[in-house]
Amino acid sequence: MTNTNVTIIDYGMGNLWSISSALQYLGSNAVISNDPGEIHNADTLILPGVGSFRKAINALKKNNLDQSILEAVKTKGTKLLGICLGMQLLGTESTEDGLTLGLGLIPGRVDKFNPQKTKEYKIPHIGFNLVHSRTDAHLFKGLPQAADFYFVHSFRMLADGLIGKTAICNYGDAFLASYEQDNIFATQFHPEKSQTNGLLLLKNFLTL
Amino acid sequence: MLSRNFRLQKVGNMQWLQTNYNFSRISYSLDELIVLDVTRGERNSTDFCEALKQITKGCFAPISAGGGINTIESARNLLHSGADKVVINSALYDNSAFISHLASEFGQQCVVASIDIKTSLDGTYRAWLDSGDKCLEGSAAKWIDKVLQKDVGELYLNSIDRDGTGQGFDFGLLDLLPLNITNPVIIAGGAGNSKHLFSGLSDSRVDAVATANLFNFVGDGLKQARESLVSGGIDLPLWDIEFTKKVSIS
Repeated sequence: MTNTNVTIIDYGMGNLWSISSALQYLGSNAVISNDPGEIHNADTLILPGVGSFRKAINALKKNNLDQSILEAVKTKGTKLLGICLGMQLLGTESTEDGLTLGLGLIPGRVDKFNPQKTKEYKIPHIGFNLVHSRTDAHLFKGLPQAADFYFVHSFRMLADGLIGKTAICNYGDAFLASYEQDNIFATQFHPEKSQTNGLLLLKNFLTL
Repeated sequence: MLSRNFRLQKVGNMQWLQTNYNFSRISYSLDELIVLDVTRGERNSTDFCEALKQITKGCFAPISAGGGINTIESARNLLHSGADKVVINSALYDNSAFISHLASEFGQQCVVASIDIKTSLDGTYRAWLDSGDKCLEGSAAKWIDKVLQKDVGELYLNSIDRDGTGQGFDFGLLDLLPLNITNPVIIAGGAGNSKHLFSGLSDSRVDAVATANLFNFVGDGLKQARESLVSGGIDLPLWDIEFTKKVSIS
């Protein structure tokens, strides 16, 4: 397999060890970095994330990582994968804890699960759940159209109005499980925690 | 470590663990992995974190870790060593502010509340702390209620009586749960075969079953147990185990 250089963005939030383990397992050269220069020059970027949206955006801004990510993605066309909170950060804004602006790379808003639709459901959404993807989605190549992935989140985005290739998960609410458009890729679930389904998805991302 | 009613029997070191348990091989038969530091006496958290990194290297499923965790630093170290969730037991009692701090720092879903329960001589259930060393005053049900009022995510209910016996879960523990509980419940202690796991998962009060029995990890036991659960109609997540043979480099 061709050697891919992946830079995992370290802004203090996210399970970096698990992601880099998965990438190494797949034969990729994974580097963890919090340096704006390194992120700007990266071949491929991964934005992980677990925790508070606002804290995360502030952490990214603190080191000018937000600017580096935007420049790399918009001007250099660098491939980027956002995972869990990392996907949400790519959105336009989040209503978690007040209103916070995101990086705006995915034209969608982050909100909590619709209370009307999720009355019978325990929040946060924790555990494996079925993701329904399109047959032409790059990330899901080789995977069944309904495949299990691991989720752990209280907030979500919706697929409504999004132009890119979207995948959906049902949890009372039918929410955005995955997104891909040009060089922007994102998953609400954790591929590095989704056993072989996740490994295959990561491999698909690496070999694009 | 082999455990029977919380009496520990050392079976081997990391090398033995890697050879016999080999998590990177059996981890595909699990949904999640829990790694607990059950060291009696002084714990070495650096060593444990290193061991955790090694154990979890080939494991691409959610991982919970714990054992004596009572500071944000120790929790953070686990989360940087491969753990996604932190298991808290004794600290639930003597460190309430810590639980809130943990939840606000890492998210409530990151905190797994673990409760060890044993029947006392008069037949009632009591909760125990400090690796089964200290018995809590009052009923186990009252303690469970108190714990659920804290900022915790999943509840891990463990039977000391059944621990290591392979005689099946103690379903009496589930009667201790409040009827309106919203936290996911993991039942542990006593699983010896897939029939026990099946009974556990068939109970509507149970969200997950846990097993640590050695015999469940040797050979193809776990893989077969998973297969029989799925063919028995239990809605477990599915993935292709063969995939790793096509892709594994390490």
